[in-house]
Amino acid sequence: MNAGLQARFDRLFNRHGDGRAVCVAADHGYMSDVTPNVVNLRPVTEAVIQGGVDGILLSPGQAMRLASYFQGRDGPALIVRADWMNMPRLGTSNVANAVPQRLLTHQKVVTAQQAVELGASAITIYLFLGYNDQIEAIGIEVCARFVRECHQVGLPCIIEPLAYGGQVTGANSVEILTLGARMAVEIGADALKIPYTGDVDTFRNLVDVAGVPVLVLGGARSDYERDALELFAEGLEAGGSGCLMGRNVTKSPDPQGMVEQLCGIAHQGWTVDRALQTEQWDLIKLKAHPAKCTGCMLCVVACVATHDDGSFGTSLSRLRIDPGRKQGQHRVMFCTLCKKCLDVCPTDALRWHPQSGAVELLVDKCTASDECVKICPTQVIVHSDTGIQIESGESLDWYPVVCDLCGGEPECAIICPTEAIFIDQRKELA
Amino acid sequence: MDSKAYRLREFIDPHDNRSLVLDASAGLSLGPLPGLEQFSTAVEPVLPLVDGLVASPGQAGRLAGRTRSDAALLVRGDWTNALRVPDFVLPPETTSHIPLLNPADALDLGASALVIYFLLGFEEQIEAGCLRETVQLALQGAQVNMPLIVDVQPIGPRVVLHQKAIELGVSYALEGGADGVAIPWSSRGSFETVLAMAAGTPVWIKPTTLQEASAELGEVLDMGGTGLWLDQRLFASRDPVKRLEEYRAQIHQPEPAG
Repeated sequence: MNAGLQARFDRLFNRHGDGRAVCVAADHGYMSDVTPNVVNLRPVTEAVIQGGVDGILLSPGQAMRLASYFQGRDGPALIVRADWMNMPRLGTSNVANAVPQRLLTHQKVVTAQQAVELGASAITIYLFLGYNDQIEAIGIEVCARFVRECHQVGLPCIIEPLAYGGQVTGANSVEILTLGARMAVEIGADALKIPYTGDVDTFRNLVDVAGVPVLVLGGARSDYERDALELFAEGLEAGGSGCLMGRNVTKSPDPQGMVEQLCGIAHQGWTVDRALQTEQWDLIKLKAHPAKCTGCMLCVVACVATHDDGSFGTSLSRLRIDPGRKQGQHRVMFCTLCKKCLDVCPTDALRWHPQSGAVELLVDKCTASDECVKICPTQVIVHSDTGIQIESGESLDWYPVVCDLCGGEPECAIICPTEAIFIDQRKELA
Repeated sequence: MDSKAYRLREFIDPHDNRSLVLDASAGLSLGPLPGLEQFSTAVEPVLPLVDGLVASPGQAGRLAGRTRSDAALLVRGDWTNALRVPDFVLPPETTSHIPLLNPADALDLGASALVIYFLLGFEEQIEAGCLRETVQLALQGAQVNMPLIVDVQPIGPRVVLHQKAIELGVSYALEGGADGVAIPWSSRGSFETVLAMAAGTPVWIKPTTLQEASAELGEVLDMGGTGLWLDQRLFASRDPVKRLEEYRAQIHQPEPAG
């Protein structure tokens, strides 16, 4: 694999170092009738990016229009739909179609070079099997040409075999998909996007005979979120490398949440039950835009005023600002919920607060060992300036002061006039 | 702002983001039309009144010498016989759609945009060709910063749901990379869907008839559309200049004081 191909392949499949990718297909407006997910493409795209998606499949036109979403090291990989077909609109009796089509038409639309110029990390193309011999032959020719073009410019080529047409029955569809997967790989596909075969064993066989990363597609939107997540989890169990899921995400009432669940399953080993629980979690964390910080110190003052009524000075603040010379250079330091203090405490005196999810000090367990203060990477755990008597009757000369997120309404973020500190959603305990 | 944005501003007034465009390119497939027999004579009085004038590649050359107060040139980049009706002197036996220009050609002609049809409701290959051309011209246009305006034409015999077909044409044009779309007026609800899909990309409407144009335009402007896209019917009407003055006043009316 040449360097460019490997780099683009890694951008898609190795963002988390696990060889897996959670991708969303948002190219339906390019082939289907207009549906709400097509109309709302921009907000849907923003939502899935917020959810942490690894790649998004778009038409060439939308790839140009939405190019800014893919910039930066943290941006998702762009996958460009390089061909076009009219399959979703076939059938003269289907009154839902505005302009029904009679014959399946499949064509190459952009070149691999044009896809690279759009910033693509990969392209996808269809390979139809089961419609008629001519369509299959055209598909093979188109795929072979794309693979050659793609490899010349260092672009991964994802082939999408589909079993569709009069030759496909319930009895032979798995066999046709497996045939298609193998043919695509023999042509030179770098990865596959393919429907789930329906059970782990047959899909495992398909993945084995393919020998390249396989992304499972979701198909028509299921009424139940669990169905899509289980399909995906089974695909991974069978050896799949992720998903390129469309309508189950883009038509979901919560595309961001759906992507977060898929990412949890793919990258963090969640079970489907665990993923579905995330909806019930309602925890927060602090985040910062350091460039917006003016160094006004209101956050520090608010922190002390909220917790330490009557105390003088800001030494007990649970956050601090390391001043720079001018705006944009100040460093905003607060508890990142990194959990290191919990790990080093010799007496388990620190824990997650069961309601707020913030770090909580159980004073009666504290021995003032100083370990938490020393380990804190942002140095925001400070010594209290007074001693305290604990339940056992002993006295501590000091105890650690930790950020409690003000019980869920952090004053530092609320008071910040420039939103340099803000509240973000937190989906799991660190 | 890139030069594509500058070119768009040649025919979309940056003060109100509105525009009045007149398509005078129909002679390319329909020959001499009433009121357009002498192209130069016909368009001369309307040039100061419209923001953009669509001309065929050949007629574009006759528009030299325009001043800053005259319309910007938009050049027709394709040919089709699909616009011919059954009683036309040479009725189409099969539908054809042929690309004529690429964005570099449009640049050579001094155009501010390239205009192509998107035909819906004909044979599969016609639609597939329109999509392929849209994508290719948009990608090539991006290289030279030449805007691509897609003129959606849901006029084929296979169109079942006219309103939905318009939305489909807009979707295809946008997914293909169009920088603007001109669509037939259908309804307020459908136009809302189109505007949501377009997400800021300019959308002109082609009025049902010239008599209804003013009312339809009122709705379009009220909803945030770009303006009016007129065709050769204007030249056949009585006093086209007066009509254009009225449309222009409606589109670019000054903001009420206070």
